[in-house]
Amino acid sequence: MAFDPQREDYQRLALRFVYSLDDTDTAHEASAFMAFGRRFAQDRDSLPQSDSDRAFHLVTLASKAIDYELPFAPEDQAEKIIKDGHRILDEALALDSHCYDALRMQAAAANPSFDSFLTFLNESASEVRAYCTEQANNISPDVSNERRRLLSDLAMRPYLRWVANQAEEALICGRNRETLRLAEHALELDPSDMADVRFTAALAYAKLEDEAGLDRFVKSRHGSGQTRPFDDAWTYIAYLALAFKQHDMQRAFGHIKDLVARYPHAAEALIRQNEFPDGVFARLAVMPYSEDEIILALSESTVLLQEGVDLEGRGVLSSWIIQETARAWPQAMLAVIAQQTAVDQADQPGPHIQGGHQ
Amino acid sequence: MNARKELIQRLAIKRRRKLGELSDEAFGELEIAVREDPLKFIDDNEEDAFLLVTKALERHDESRQNDDFLDDDQYAQARTQRLKALLTASKQALSIDESCLDARLLGILASDRSQEETFGELLALHEETTRDLGEIPLSAAGDAWADVFVRPRLRLQAALARTAINTARFRKAQDLCLDLLARAPLDVLGARFTCALAMARLEDEDGFDWLDAREGRHGNAWFHLGRAILMYKLGRIPAARRALRGYDRLCTGGAYLILQPMYVDAYLPDRPAFESGSFEESLLCTHEADPIISDIPDFPAWASAQTGFLASAQSFCKRNGFEWRDWNEQL
Repeated sequence: MAFDPQREDYQRLALRFVYSLDDTDTAHEASAFMAFGRRFAQDRDSLPQSDSDRAFHLVTLASKAIDYELPFAPEDQAEKIIKDGHRILDEALALDSHCYDALRMQAAAANPSFDSFLTFLNESASEVRAYCTEQANNISPDVSNERRRLLSDLAMRPYLRWVANQAEEALICGRNRETLRLAEHALELDPSDMADVRFTAALAYAKLEDEAGLDRFVKSRHGSGQTRPFDDAWTYIAYLALAFKQHDMQRAFGHIKDLVARYPHAAEALIRQNEFPDGVFARLAVMPYSEDEIILALSESTVLLQEGVDLEGRGVLSSWIIQETARAWPQAMLAVIAQQTAVDQADQPGPHIQGGHQ
Repeated sequence: MNARKELIQRLAIKRRRKLGELSDEAFGELEIAVREDPLKFIDDNEEDAFLLVTKALERHDESRQNDDFLDDDQYAQARTQRLKALLTASKQALSIDESCLDARLLGILASDRSQEETFGELLALHEETTRDLGEIPLSAAGDAWADVFVRPRLRLQAALARTAINTARFRKAQDLCLDLLARAPLDVLGARFTCALAMARLEDEDGFDWLDAREGRHGNAWFHLGRAILMYKLGRIPAARRALRGYDRLCTGGAYLILQPMYVDAYLPDRPAFESGSFEESLLCTHEADPIISDIPDFPAWASAQTGFLASAQSFCKRNGFEWRDWNEQL
């Protein structure tokens, strides 16, 4: 599902707009709302909004720049994008000191190590939770149940993102049990798992080589109808790693085949294994089962792929996947080499080829 | 591996089988006679092959004595030659007795292939041996190590467990080590050290505690570092700090080696002997822990920021005339 910042910005203002209308006149309400879309796009300032809405809008701008543009930007523009992004986040915090998305995004850049960023996230988590919960509970009693649900859902999202970020950082820091604990907490708060924190959890189960645990996790959530079935790249990669660690190479290769069957251009992605910086607002919102999704999942799986002592320094599992994929899909290997050569010749970074800027 | 000692034991035991019952005293005399001239006591291919392995290992250890005086190119050359000689000896031994397990183990390790390939070959050999010979038998003494003819199998399993760590197969490593501890509880090969690292990596606190208690909580480099890593991973920072302090205090050069890792060549076939509390102990421990430390990328920086750790590392470096490489240069 993922958090799409633009969509959330729209939802916030739409809800506030509807709330500002007089509920009694439905015909008027309908026509006014017709105009909302146009006003949102062209004349945002004319819409009713609070400072916290304005701050969130700035967050969406910063996220667009840092998460979605920066990884594909030419080297010489990178610094400017980062600088602008952080200036925008400063503005957001000036408008709303409780804009925890902005605070978290600033901290991601300000902390020199994963470890110190995780410490920051852990230390402030209860404050963020208390604030978001209070916002979610303080919705006017006049609001209809349906809208109340939406408003409280929006109010909790910064905390959901906070916890998902904690889980992700804990995974990078090698604190896999902490990742699982955080994921469980996030899933309790939001069983529909907007943050897709279960993907991070799947990787942590594989890191702990706890296949029975992953089986239980998948089984307990499967068929709940609240999330996609567990046929996503993260789950496949987790099972692939587990099979590889048990030296069940046939089963491991079976999961490579699953990925190739499920995702377009998966063989190329498995050979390239690009590493991108994680989204600072949230995991990038990409289409389920798209090429982007498998690229993203592989990048997050670095913690599994790059483990172990390997001659090329790539990691044991990483090398094996490249070798097996290239063997089974030689044309994919040729395509990767051809693309790489073209990029080297043009000396230009292109999407999917050169990782982002760390 | 003290191959010569094992050779003498093997030959004396085989001779005793021929002679029938011998008093302890008479057996002692026999051992002395074997030590003086083992060749006189070899009367089967199995021991002929084991003698070749023994000699090859002795030559190998001898040729390593000069390593400290070689520059990088010379070292690489000497190493290649050494491994080649070992490989040749392994083949020779196997041409005499194809079932010589130590020769097969050395053959795989001396091939100097990737850890992944080595793991595959060791695993295949381990499976083949179990299939052909059954599970590792317990001796009457209750420790498989007591039977000198079973030791090659224990060595193979310990080498497989260490390679499992290097190929990020931590549960495999742990299972292999626990099996070794059950069959050979005295654990002459130190499988419990490998096990401690695997449990730390798997964040298995109960398992680690059990192992530590089994060790009488006396610990050594593996246990001190293992606990520091485990607590760090579990986010229990004050406990991690205490464990790290213990590691720094009790393990010679331990702090230095976390911040300035040093190269250690592959074990042939098992972990070299070390004095308790020595620099060698810390060196072997940090070398074996490398895949686990790499998985907690901020651990060295965190350790370095703990009171006294960096100073301890630097003063060790200075006292021993080692080189201090800058972190940024390393990256």
